[in-house]
Amino acid sequence: MSTADSLPLERFTIVEVNDRDVPLCLRLASSLAAKIAADLGATVLKVEPPGGDPVRRAPPLLPQGESALFQFLNTSKRSLLLDLATDAGRAALGKLTDTADAVLFEEPASIASLARAGRATAIEIAAFPLEMQAAHRPVSEFTILALGGLLHMVGEPDRKPLRLGGHQASYAAGLTAFTGLAAALAARDADRAAPSIRVSLAEVVQWVNWKAASGAAASGQSPGREGKRSEFQIVPCRDGHVAVVYTVTQWPATRALINDSRLDDPKFANRAGRRQHVAALYEIIAPWFADKTRAEIQVLAQAKGVPFGPIFAPAELLKADQYVARGFLADMTHPTLGALRLPQLPVQWNGRSFAPRPAPELPRPGLPT
Amino acid sequence: MTKRPLSGVRVLDFGLLTAGANTSAMLADLGAEVLKIESGAYLDPFRVVGKIDNDDGWWNRSPQFRFTNRNKRGLALNLKDPQGQRVIRALAAQCDVVVENFRRGVLDRAGLGYRDLSAVNSRIVFAAISSQGDTGPERMNVSFGSTLDATSGLAALTGYEDEEPRISGMDVNYPDQIVSLFATGIVITAIMEARRTGKGCFLDFSQREVASFTIGEEILAAAADPQRRCRRQGNQAEGIVQQDTYLCSDGRWIAVTCDSEQPDLAAFCAGHASADAVAELLMRGIAAAPCNDGNDLLQDKALAGVTLARDRRGTLVKGLPYRLDGKGIAVERPAPDLGQHTDEVLRGLLGYDDAMLDELDKSGVTSTTPTIGEV
Repeated sequence: MSTADSLPLERFTIVEVNDRDVPLCLRLASSLAAKIAADLGATVLKVEPPGGDPVRRAPPLLPQGESALFQFLNTSKRSLLLDLATDAGRAALGKLTDTADAVLFEEPASIASLARAGRATAIEIAAFPLEMQAAHRPVSEFTILALGGLLHMVGEPDRKPLRLGGHQASYAAGLTAFTGLAAALAARDADRAAPSIRVSLAEVVQWVNWKAASGAAASGQSPGREGKRSEFQIVPCRDGHVAVVYTVTQWPATRALINDSRLDDPKFANRAGRRQHVAALYEIIAPWFADKTRAEIQVLAQAKGVPFGPIFAPAELLKADQYVARGFLADMTHPTLGALRLPQLPVQWNGRSFAPRPAPELPRPGLPT
Repeated sequence: MTKRPLSGVRVLDFGLLTAGANTSAMLADLGAEVLKIESGAYLDPFRVVGKIDNDDGWWNRSPQFRFTNRNKRGLALNLKDPQGQRVIRALAAQCDVVVENFRRGVLDRAGLGYRDLSAVNSRIVFAAISSQGDTGPERMNVSFGSTLDATSGLAALTGYEDEEPRISGMDVNYPDQIVSLFATGIVITAIMEARRTGKGCFLDFSQREVASFTIGEEILAAAADPQRRCRRQGNQAEGIVQQDTYLCSDGRWIAVTCDSEQPDLAAFCAGHASADAVAELLMRGIAAAPCNDGNDLLQDKALAGVTLARDRRGTLVKGLPYRLDGKGIAVERPAPDLGQHTDEVLRGLLGYDDAMLDELDKSGVTSTTPTIGEV
């Protein structure tokens, strides 16, 4: 960056349109994409419907009753209430999208044609690709995870499929939309025609889950959830759980770490053998963990180059040495909510982090906050 | 043809597996020219992990490698050899971006770190993607895929009701996938800034931080409320009335999210084939979908229209996670064989002649076969 204070996207203006009656999973994606741009310095104007973005009331909630989800997803933005069901509201939006560089909106939207007609590049967030002809199909983030094949991958093979925690379908789509937005801005910045960007949650989940398709194409057999049959398992330790993970080339180091002669049995020598005898393998491995803490296990494993993963709860991450040392968690003073601590953008640019600014209060009609 | 967003951008790609190599692949999707650097002594581990046979040239046939590295040219140059390092520095002078996800210190020791390369090219945007980031007490820690499910907080929120935590596992390695989606956008932002100011930058990505960022609201809520309990909820989610997977009469699972309680849903699903159950629920305005597996995804041409693509040999490869002007990508070249384009690129970009290329080959700086022994 040219000066210590300037931010890389500060010369760009982006409009995030929150139309009413949009599935929440789409809103989370568009809000995340715009939040990243806002934290990087873009002027992001969030156009909320009368009554505000419903995410303002969505869990998890802070003790004060406000939405932690909203506060996380809308840092560094400004906000404006517009009733897009009225001519005046649509005219105001038209003006905004004519002077902005990009406009993010969710499909199907009542204002789609208006948003596409302005000089701003359109970034559209949808549930499904157009070819599925499913624009009005009832949808949730969970059913998207099923459709894209991710549910099939997590859990025990003889039990129900499981979702990953958090909002992974929406957020993966939000990260994708941010990258599409950056590409569009880069094209405009170089005086090139910017491509319009359309992100569907279903396609993003399928793309993220590419090993399922790749594995099925290579062998005819789809990979799926392996649970206790997997070579990688969760084992209890003295103060919690640890994920046992290692690559093929890290097996000798893993064996040396556990240091039990039964692991020298040739049946464990290669990956196929370890998978075939996985229950026997874990009978030998698991006791090593039982009397050690996660911290002890991490130190012993890393000393041998073994990537075991101690499992931390979100609250424990607040005190994680690595996060504290890197300043990953930002302290933000909200005008009414007070001190909030939250992850900032997961990148350091020439050693600099991007401190988020508090999400906008619910504005009064017609007046930006 | 109109100029694509990143036409004219050249990327020196040391990216391995997904986190690094897919970031470069996404830059290629937007028009960048990507030069993938490996060496006979150090292949992209995807060439090895995905090994499908023991015949000569096995290192060029891994599906995972071919899936990820389409639309790149490939060079094999020995990073440990001073002559190889000189060649790479000369290439860096001709590039705009470096992407790498080696363990911290590997490129610095080879004289190819950010300090070295920015000295020969001050415009270089250097994306360092590592497990824990470039600073801090755990910077040298290693991780592999689901290690980061565990250490990021994601696994603690994943699992059957009140049972032990779960990871995405080696067939998903979820944290590796999302880091490339984020890093690509930041690299593009830095390219814009380098075009404007003439100055590059060092981008330090921690994969663990990217994974924690995706549960940002949970970390914020936990920070604000020390009493907040972290628990596994199966498929339920806060604020949703009823949500789970249900087994249908054909033995397939479907996923359903309801706005109001549906106490008979399990019985309803057990009495219907999955396709009928999904159709009926959708008609009643209830969100439902089949739990697809890899084979279902391959057959769903509407869903996988651009997310999967085929190279000109007909091999299935990775497509786009988004539509650009409504379209996917053309796969202009399949993933490179090891060292396939070394000579072509050194001639074209650096003006090397036959004698110079012969010398590099004889001294083992360049190669087209691995020297890693039996794997």
